[in-house]
Amino acid sequence: MTKHIALASSILLIFAAAPAPAQVTKQINVSQDQLARAGSDSRNWLHTQGNYAQTRYYPGAQINTKNVRKLRPAFVFQTEVNESMETAPIVVDGVMYLTTSYNHVYAADAATGKELWHYKHRMGPVTTFCCGPNNRGVAISGGKLFMGTLDAKLIALDALTGKLVWEKQIADPEKGYSETMAPTVVENKVLIGTNGGEYGIRGFLKAFDAGSGSLLWTFYTIPEKGHEGVWAEKDATGRNMHRDIAKEKAALSQQGGDFYQTLGGGVWMNPAIDLKARTAWFVAGNPSPDLYGDERPGDNLYTDSLVAIDLDQGTYKCHFQYIAHDVWDLDAVSPPILVDVKDRSGNMVPGVLHGGKTGHVYVHNRKDCSLIRFSQTMIPQENMWVLPTPEGARMLPGANGGVEWSPMAWEPKNRLAIALNLHQPMTYHVEAAKYPGGSKLWLGGAFKVIASEKQWGRVSAVNVDTGKVAWKHDTEQPLIGGGLATAGGLFFFGEGNGSFNALDSATGKKLWSFNCGAGANAQPVSYMVRGKQYVAMGCGGNTQIDFKRGNSVFVFSLTE
Amino acid sequence: MELGRKKAEACAACHGPDGNSVVPLFPILAGQTSRYLYLELRDFKEGRRTDPQMSPIAAPLTRDDMLDLAAFFAAQKPRPTGFNADAARAARGKAKADETLCTMCHLGGFAGQNEIPRVAGQYYEYVVKQLGDFKNRVRTNDAGSMTSVARTLSDQDIEDLGHYLASLQ
Repeated sequence: MTKHIALASSILLIFAAAPAPAQVTKQINVSQDQLARAGSDSRNWLHTQGNYAQTRYYPGAQINTKNVRKLRPAFVFQTEVNESMETAPIVVDGVMYLTTSYNHVYAADAATGKELWHYKHRMGPVTTFCCGPNNRGVAISGGKLFMGTLDAKLIALDALTGKLVWEKQIADPEKGYSETMAPTVVENKVLIGTNGGEYGIRGFLKAFDAGSGSLLWTFYTIPEKGHEGVWAEKDATGRNMHRDIAKEKAALSQQGGDFYQTLGGGVWMNPAIDLKARTAWFVAGNPSPDLYGDERPGDNLYTDSLVAIDLDQGTYKCHFQYIAHDVWDLDAVSPPILVDVKDRSGNMVPGVLHGGKTGHVYVHNRKDCSLIRFSQTMIPQENMWVLPTPEGARMLPGANGGVEWSPMAWEPKNRLAIALNLHQPMTYHVEAAKYPGGSKLWLGGAFKVIASEKQWGRVSAVNVDTGKVAWKHDTEQPLIGGGLATAGGLFFFGEGNGSFNALDSATGKKLWSFNCGAGANAQPVSYMVRGKQYVAMGCGGNTQIDFKRGNSVFVFSLTE
Repeated sequence: MELGRKKAEACAACHGPDGNSVVPLFPILAGQTSRYLYLELRDFKEGRRTDPQMSPIAAPLTRDDMLDLAAFFAAQKPRPTGFNADAARAARGKAKADETLCTMCHLGGFAGQNEIPRVAGQYYEYVVKQLGDFKNRVRTNDAGSMTSVARTLSDQDIEDLGHYLASLQ
């Protein structure tokens, strides 16, 4: 023992010249009250989507339409992971917490970029995930950070030191479960969904105790009974989906409904929280397999749906399905936003917004999930809903949308939901395929882009009370990543070519741009340190659209 | 790892002592993802994938054998094959790969991940044979993704992809 200590001291001596690793020196203790009032807190960025309503609206206006042209990099935080970056940094009291692909977490000084600590998750031997080794960020509550991992764990870290406090296996990675979403914490409950709709999982939203990591409740996005639904012939916008319902009914009565265990319905993005109504709102993704429907007769509830559940018990409240028996993977991913909206009689009511892969913004009544209106199409739609064929059937939008996981931002002054869209013309291919046991990608076909047709992106601002597109801004590449609206009248978003841009959020006019050198496809955030406003954006590219990879978070402030 | 090294001696004749085979029809296993290697061995053993040479070799393997072998080969370093890719064909292959959205699963640079194999730097002959086998449904153990994609590829597309993938490192 003594010998070991002596050896240890000599090692310490050798490294004495190197500076001691920095750590967070101030107290970090985020209260529930702070989390609930995050929407009016211009100092901190406490939730992946800004606040429980998920508006991604920053209430500070120091950086605004008048001065944004003077925005310059304050620092660049380089991580050691050169891979797809989707993180939304969390900022508390001048400390930034950001994540990378493969579940690294960094703490950094949010004004200087000085690294405070670095945590690398020790990945289990088996991981199974679709669309990149992404991570979209941590959640914070009290003095702890929470992150989901690619090997389907939920972990809690000490926000001061980056040391692991507890970890909990959420589901079995051998069966296709994995985590890329940031959790949401509310009243000591850590809420997290799951990926895996491409592997035949049974989706869920789970709540864990923030203190101990013990499971509090599970809501399965696929009910054991009744997932066949109402045999809907039309989608949310009234278009016929060309289902052979007689054939489906016969198949269901013959094979039974046990396939609920592999029917998919992943939850990729944060739930919104209505504390007053004690409700969690989220969207559930595609059925498994994505493109081959014969294995799963029925509406496949609650895939491709907006779902409301009780925050305390995790029990069902209501749902609205956009596409029943989806065979295009045009599912529901972009996180819902809670704002008041005009109903059809013109009365303001509590509403829910969702940006769809179909290219519509859907506006719902929070009372019962019902659809109040859907927006004009934000991008071209053609041949909807032509069924996939073995040779490939062309339909627009392509399988990435529309609005992919990309969170929208809310601009309250003009009542605009601002959405990032893709236009990627594709052919949809079906291939009969039995459940392969969870260990292999199970799409039941494929989609391919059409090389001769141009791809592009579009920012669309939709007036939620009318459903009309108020303005649009086109980009040369498809858009994937988050938006950020600010009280300074700005809308920030990034492009795959590295451009990180600010538009006038009332008109869509481009006011500022900076090229990060790698795909600006993460989720921008804003905050203040010692009276100075910063805007941060991860620029690490994207696996799904194969945008140039990088490893850095860029942080901007106004030049003097 | 040492267990795997010992067990891998039986594979050396075709795949090389460190998984860098010298015969272009035998795939390079060095640097392949361990998950993919394990699942393929299991599929050979259980008959979901067949090959006159591999099927009888995989038949007696235990789960631990397969995991050890997978871990060993995954930890080896792949060496360049020296394949002389035709630049024009490789460029066409890249365009076809972009259109087919290959890297959504195979990751950037075809580095592979988990159950999706690394194909960067793989032998041209092996890539062409496998894509052809998917297309002709000789190989059907991938749950439908590759058979669906390969159906849309012409023989020339497959050769172009072979040039492109063999030229990556």
